This record gives sequence, C-alpha cells and structure tokens, in this order.
Amino acid sequence: MQIYVCVRHVPDSAASITVTGGAGIDQNIAFLINPFDEHAITQAVKIRDKIQGAEVIAICLGPDDAQKTLQSSLAMGADRGVLVQTSENHDSILTAKALKTAIEQDGSPDLILTGKESIDAEGMQTMFRIGALFNFPVVNNIVKFNIQDNEAIVDHEFSSGIVNRYKMTLPCVVGAGKALNVPKYPTFPDIVKARKKPVKKIALTDLNIETVTNSMTVVKLEPLLQKRNPEEIKGTAVQAAEQIVQILKFEAKVIS
Amino acid sequence: MSEKYDAIIIGAGVIGAPIAYEMAKMGYKTLNVDKLPDAGEGSTAGSCAIVRAHYSTADGVAMAYEGFKYWLDWENYLDNVEDEKGLAKYMNTGSILLKSQGHDWKKVQANYDEVGVDYEEWDNDKIKKAVPVADLHEFWPVRRPEDPKFYDEPTKALGGGIFCPEAGYVNDPALSAHNIMRAAEAKGSKFIFNAEVVDVRSENNKITGITLKDGTKIDAGIVVNVGGPHSFQINKMAEGVWEGCNIKTKALRHEVMYCPSPDEYDYINDGYHMSDGDIGCYVRPEVGNLFLIGSEDPDCDPQEWVDPDEFYAGKGGHGRDNVLSEEQWKAQCYRLGKRIPSLAVPNQPKGVVDLYDCSDDWIPVYDKSDLPGFYMAIGTSGNQYKNAPVVGRMMAELIDACEKGLDHDNEPMQYKYKFIDRTMNVGFFSRKREINYNSSFSVNG
Amino acid sequence: MKNIAVIIETDVSKSGREEVKEICFGMITIAREKNCELFAFVINADIQALKPDLKSFGIANILDIVLESDLQYNPVVRAKAMVKAVEKFHIDAVFGLCTPMGKDLLPRMAAQLDAPLVMGCIDVDLQPDSHTKNCLAKTLQYSGKAIATIKTRGNIPIFGVKPNAVKPVKAQTDTRILRFDGIDLDATKLKLIQTGRNDKSADINLSEADIIIAGGRGMKNPENFTTLFKCAKILNASVGASRVAVDEGWVPYSMQVGQTGEKVNPKVYIACGISGSIQHFAGMKTSQMVIAINSDKDAPIMSNSDYYVVADALEVIPELTKLLSSTQPKAANLPNYGVGNKF
Repeated sequence: MQIYVCVRHVPDSAASITVTGGAGIDQNIAFLINPFDEHAITQAVKIRDKIQGAEVIAICLGPDDAQKTLQSSLAMGADRGVLVQTSENHDSILTAKALKTAIEQDGSPDLILTGKESIDAEGMQTMFRIGALFNFPVVNNIVKFNIQDNEAIVDHEFSSGIVNRYKMTLPCVVGAGKALNVPKYPTFPDIVKARKKPVKKIALTDLNIETVTNSMTVVKLEPLLQKRNPEEIKGTAVQAAEQIVQILKFEAKVIS
Repeated sequence: MSEKYDAIIIGAGVIGAPIAYEMAKMGYKTLNVDKLPDAGEGSTAGSCAIVRAHYSTADGVAMAYEGFKYWLDWENYLDNVEDEKGLAKYMNTGSILLKSQGHDWKKVQANYDEVGVDYEEWDNDKIKKAVPVADLHEFWPVRRPEDPKFYDEPTKALGGGIFCPEAGYVNDPALSAHNIMRAAEAKGSKFIFNAEVVDVRSENNKITGITLKDGTKIDAGIVVNVGGPHSFQINKMAEGVWEGCNIKTKALRHEVMYCPSPDEYDYINDGYHMSDGDIGCYVRPEVGNLFLIGSEDPDCDPQEWVDPDEFYAGKGGHGRDNVLSEEQWKAQCYRLGKRIPSLAVPNQPKGVVDLYDCSDDWIPVYDKSDLPGFYMAIGTSGNQYKNAPVVGRMMAELIDACEKGLDHDNEPMQYKYKFIDRTMNVGFFSRKREINYNSSFSVNG
Repeated sequence: MKNIAVIIETDVSKSGREEVKEICFGMITIAREKNCELFAFVINADIQALKPDLKSFGIANILDIVLESDLQYNPVVRAKAMVKAVEKFHIDAVFGLCTPMGKDLLPRMAAQLDAPLVMGCIDVDLQPDSHTKNCLAKTLQYSGKAIATIKTRGNIPIFGVKPNAVKPVKAQTDTRILRFDGIDLDATKLKLIQTGRNDKSADINLSEADIIIAGGRGMKNPENFTTLFKCAKILNASVGASRVAVDEGWVPYSMQVGQTGEKVNPKVYIACGISGSIQHFAGMKTSQMVIAINSDKDAPIMSNSDYYVVADALEVIPELTKLLSSTQPKAANLPNYGVGNKF
C-alpha cells in the first residue's frame, strides 16, 4: 500500500508578514511544514504501522528550502520524500497537476492525504483538484479515519458541531483536520534516522505538464492594517454590562 | 513637571525598581521613568528568572547566594506590601550542574566551598535517578545541527554533577519587578511610564536632570542609568560618561525556547534546573510541563548585536513579537534532545526573544561615573536577575556614600552583605576595570 | 450578456418557515453586475417562500433544483447537479458562500470544471477590462495578515464570498422560476452513511455568526465556559475559544478561533480573558467590532479592540446575561443542513 502525503512549505504562523514588490512577501522569515499537514503525516504513519508493507511518501511542490519541510515529514515518520522543485509560487490548479503527475510517476497511490488547508494561500481546494484529476473520491476536514474491507470510513467535520460520516472507495483523497489526531513530533533519534531516508528531487519543468490556461494569480498584496481606536468602558461589572448592551443595541445594531 | 526629586532612576525593571526602593528607605525622594507601560515590561519580562549560585568567581557566587535569601523571604523583603496583581513566587527546584568540559566546574566547586554554599556531589547513577529521562553520554564539543558531526554517536559518559538544593526560579519576572515597585511606592517613590528619556542634562560638570521625549524636563541632582538593553544609549546622553567607561555595554539578541516535556516525565513537578555545558544549554521547568531551554552561548553560535530601538520596534531582521529563528530553535532543542532522547520537538518554534544588556566581560557595571551625580547599574542581563534585590541595596549605599563624599574610584566601597557573612569590594564592578578574564563570557557570568 | 449563478443557502425560522440565509444578501449584492442576469441556484427548497426575498435583491431567475431525497445531502451529487445546471444555463460565473456548505461544494465544482476558484472573497470585479474574461477577486491571505487581489483566468470562475463582507443592497426585479429536475446522478465512490450533531459545540456556526463570545486562558476551567454559553444563547451568538482553552481541553477544537482554527468575521467579537496572540488575531481581526474584557490592561487584545473593559470577564458576562434576559432577543434560525440523528 502506498500512502502519499502532500505537504506544503509555508511561513511560520508566528512570523510577521511584510509585503514586498506589490504582490509578494518578504521571504526572509522561517518557512515550516503547514500545521494541518502534521496531522496528515501523523495519520498516514498510524495507518502504515497497521498494514504490512505499507509505505508513506511525503511529497511537496516548492523551492529548495522546502527540503526542510520534507525532513520534518521524514522525522515524523514518513519513509521517503519527493520534492518537486520550483522557485515560483503556483496556484492550486497547477499545484494539483504537478502533484498528480509526480505521484503517478513515482508509484500508484492507494491513499492520498493532505492538510485541510494551507495557512498561507488558504485556497481550500487543492485536495479536491487532485481527487478530480485521479477520479478519486475526496473528503476534506476529516476528524476520524478507518479502513475497512478496502473502503475508508471517515468522519467529516462539516461545521462546528455537525459531523458527517462517509464511506469512500479506495484509492481516495482526504484532508486532515486538526481534531483528527495529536501530531507526533520527532525525538532526536527520529531526526537522526530521518537524515538517512531518501529524498527524490524532480524539477517541475521535467514533469512536462501540459500548458494550463486556467489560473489564479495574485496580482496585488496589501498588508491588512487594523485601525481601531480602543475606548475604555469603565465602572463596576454591572455598569460595564449596561454600557455593552448600549453598544450592541445602538452602535453595532445586533440586538433590538 | 513642578515636583523636585532627589534622584531619577532611568528604568523600572527588576534592577531599577529595587534601587528606588532602597533609596526611598534611606530617605531619598526618587522617580523612576520608563519608556514602557509598566514595571518589568522590558527585558525583565523576557528573563528566565533563574535563581542559582554557580558563578565562575567567588564574588559572583556570594552575591547570588545572598540574593537567594531575599527571594526566600519575598513578603518580608517587600515589607508586606499589597500588589493588586499578586506576588511573584519563588519555586525551588534544586539545580544540577553537570560536570563537563563546557564548564569550569572545579572553580565553581571551590567558590561554593569558599562562600559556604550547600551542595552535594552526584554520580551518574544519582543523576539518572533524579532525572530518569536523561542520557548521560558526553556530547562535547557543542556543535550546530548544520554540522554533520552534530549527529555523531557519543562514546564516553559524563562524570556526574554538582547538585545545589537551594536553587530554582521566579515564576513571573515582570510581576516581581511590579511587586518591588509597589513596595517602593509605599515608601514614597514615584514611577512614571510611557516616558522616554532623550537627554541627560548636566551643568558645570554636575548632573541637573533629564529631558523626556515630550519635552518635559525633570530636575534632580542624581540620575541612575538602569536602562537595560538601552543602557549604552543613556550613557551616551550624559556628558563624558560613555567615554569614561573602560567597560562598555551593548544589546545582544537572545532566544529562549519552550519545548514540551516527554509525556511520561512530570517535569514541572519533579524537574530540576540543570546547567549543561556539555550541550551548551540550561533548562528549567515552565508552566504547561514545558522545558524552558536557554543557551549558554557556545562559541559555534552566532552573536547578534542589535540596535535595541529597532529590535523592539520589530524592525531589522527577525524582529520582536517572539519571532524565533528556526535555526536556533533546532540548535537548542536538538541539543537538549541528545540529553533527553524522548523529548519530542515540535516543528514550530515557541519561546521568547529578547535582549541582553551585555558588558564586554559579561560582568555588570555597578558604579558611579565621570560625571558627578550620574550612576549606573548596567550590563546586567543574562545573569543578574537573581541578584536584583542585592544590587538595589548595594547601589543605594554606593550612591549615598558617593554623594557624601566617598572617592569610590580610589577607595572602593566595601559592601557588607545582609544575610551572609561576607563583604563585597564594589570596585570589582568598576567601569574603569580591565576586562575580567576570569569571567565565563557567557550567561553564566 | 453574462449569466451569473448565486448558490443560495437557507435556514428554517422558529416559526418553521424556510428562509434565505441573511448572509446570502451580501453575496448577491457582490454578484450583481451591470448587464448581467442573476440565477439563484436552490436545492430542494420551498421556492415560493424564498421568492419574495430573492426578487427584492435582483434575482431574475430562480433555479429550483430537485434532487432525489436519499441522495440530496451527498456533496458529490450536489456538486454534480450544480455543474449540470451551470452547463445547461450557460453560466459564466458562480458565487457561493464561504460557509461549511460552500467550503465543501465550491471546490468540488471547481475541480470538476477545472475552473478557477477564489475562497473567502471580500470583493469581486467580474469585468475589470472589456476585452478578456479575466476577473479580480479580493481575499485575505496569510491568515488575515494581507489582502490579496487575485486575477482569475479561464471560463466559469467561482467565488466563495466571506459572510458579512459587504452590506446588502436591495434591487427589485421580475423573477421567474425555472425547474431543473430529473437529473440522473449517482455517487458510488462516496456515500454519506450518517450525519449527526455533536453536543459539546455551539449551535450556530462560528464562520456565520453575527456575534461571537470567545473565551481564553481567563476562563480558568471548562465549567466557566457555561457562563459564555448562557450569554450566547440569549444573544443568539456563537461561542469561540482561544488556542489555550482548546489545548487545556476545556472546549473542543471546533470552537477554536485563530490561525489554525476557524477564521471568523462577525459583526461583534467579544473576547473574554483572551490575551490576543498574533495567531489569535489572524482568526478574528476582520471582526467589525471587538469588545475585549480582560483583567490585564496590558494584554495585546486591549490595544486592538474598539472597546475594552479592565475586569474579570467572569464577573461582567453574568451581568450582561442578566440585563439581556430582560429584553426580547431576536429569533434564532437553525441552519438547514439536513441534520439527522446524534451519533
């Protein structure tokens, strides 16, 4: 069984984002594995450990620096890595095509995992596009995963409080939600072991993907500035509550 | 401002606040000015607040041991003042100093003997019993994860350690400064915040006061520089002071990491402070069962000297807002990961980035200056937090003596400790000293 | 002429009537473009009940999509039905909401059509130039730290609009109803076998809520969240939480607001005992109004609020609940997701 986990190399969520050149960001910040992808890797490793001969392959489309994200994936238990190298940013349409082609060239997937979204572009769609290209069923934001008789039973957290359970034929694509598991972070011995695991590098241009005419391009990026003028509500708890009611009623107009 | 003060103290951190407190107790009318919104919000807040006695000089050990007595008796020290934010707490953990090539532990041991610090010698078995998650192989020398040799298998074992039962940390360093501020206010001290000093004024070679950014002039015959990472800027504002110092201070960027303890180890309750020169780290427990991992500044690590204004404004490279560098996160966590092989290291760095106010030899300057009326308690970051109450008293006595005519440069004041039976030659901290090569040139002081 | 589809979500009012979700009107307002005709796509709904509202917002065509009842909640079937409708009615652009439903449906449609898709739109320009079919959409990226303008190239761009992004503007028109049924769809690869509600979480979805009351470290324990739930019930608000509260195990992850939690856009965000980390701001900074209650006056949330109270939220919120109980609350609508039994 081959389990592919698509991982993405994203800016550290704690980093301050500085817009440069009108449509890009200052790259001089730490880039790490997308936090949701940690759940995908952890799940893939759990599944592999139950199935004899199963293999977890972490795959990433990104710059050379994304090797760090692959190393993190390997340290968390993936068996090997594939880096599809590109120095540019690509939209979900091309990313899905590149990952699909690279996965196909590498092996034959029985299961593909991703994080439920990336914290940088927040496109929330790549897993669906990969599924459509392979003609595999897709469920995103899963919080439970089991394999039974060559079918996957997954719980999809539709919204806060509502969970739908699906049965999917394998192969399939699932996007890991945060409630799926607790990421298993690597120990130093895991990190040492990961250094010896193979990482295959392919240039995006060598995948010979046919020209894509549909696209989404960021043409402008502006920092979102907060312009709030904090005003203190003073007084006792009762007085503060009274003032909040007035604000909700007359300023925010959310209660009548 | 119409009010007149005897002394203006620039800075309201954990050193600035006790100087005010002790001077107020002596009858001085003091004013602390700080550019931040509250006491202890600057580099004090970023301190690991570790209270331990091992220093590379006997004087250093003595002062730390004296300081320890203050922390043990915190309410009394504060004269039982009330603080609406509550009181900082001293948490005793005990401290293990691993015997390694990274520390001159023999010197430390001799200093302990000289000062009378309580300690035990532990062999590896004893350490293993106390810290069951530890791997006591020798990993020396300290390297960086970028170096392939970092991953070499260790072959030798360490040779035990020195355990000090009297050591620990203060749970909330900013709060401790706030506590001292409240105690000082109860004795008549005043504090103003959001007030940035732009000039230190003098006339006829005598200090006259300060000028704030908004143009306010405040007069006083005494000005004390406790500016933390900004100390060198304050010294430059006062005529002839910076030039008159043989030892200079500057701001060093420093990162401290928080890494979760292995699940099976209740570090927050069972853990020790550990000083581990073999991997260039020190650790202490932090709320949330975390390891707080500090660096002992091994030679292979880069030192980043920064402009404190740019750093705190979040400009220039990594910036503030707890943006740790990924390389240093890996360096410190992986090093500890060797000592504690079950330590799981998250991918996202978590911790604190702040500045050290660092002197040329990592030993602070507690002194007068070439400008009469201007004093300094600077170069304190990295290792002086624990000494703060002692420094407060010592500085107050030094200032009082100098104002009464003591020629401190030629006949250095001898400070008599309050708890331990020992006298400190304050001239040891002179601005005029030559670089002290006995120093460890690190956070260890 | 351009045909533009808007995918309508409905809910059921307390009186049992099916209604257009209020957040749809802002989306329709963004979608309405000069010289374009609007098609409202509605699946298995009470069309007559919805018609007056849709008419008053300029919908010329209501497409009554009828699916077999046993398959109607299967997302693959829904997406396929929508795609068929797009093809049959020569739709040039599709608008939906960036809600749980939209997040599941719109990417499926985009994947099938191999069409561009922008989620979380706060503004869309369908005709920035006259000689191409390119569109411009504004959305937040980097967890709300930046606004990106995205140019879409290609046929049938799809836009998932962030709730409460713009003020709804009415525009009366003549409206006709078109029935679209007999669609032969199957979903053999993916079957919905169970659907249920998880008791622990809020009834109202965070991403759609007008008012959110969120608790952080200052809540101190799980029991204190009950205080927030009580207040939220009266306010018709949703309850959120900071990462600390989730990590401590006080509330489930589904309530987490922030970079790795839900990104919310309410009219009012009441932060109780939340200090306001950069990651938390990433999830709520687009809130129209922020009211912070925290006993620490220096907490970062205070300087990033519109109103702040220096106090323990556990003292203020019960007072607020008391005051509100004496006034008449707005009726709470339940979303119509076809939710069945509890697990």
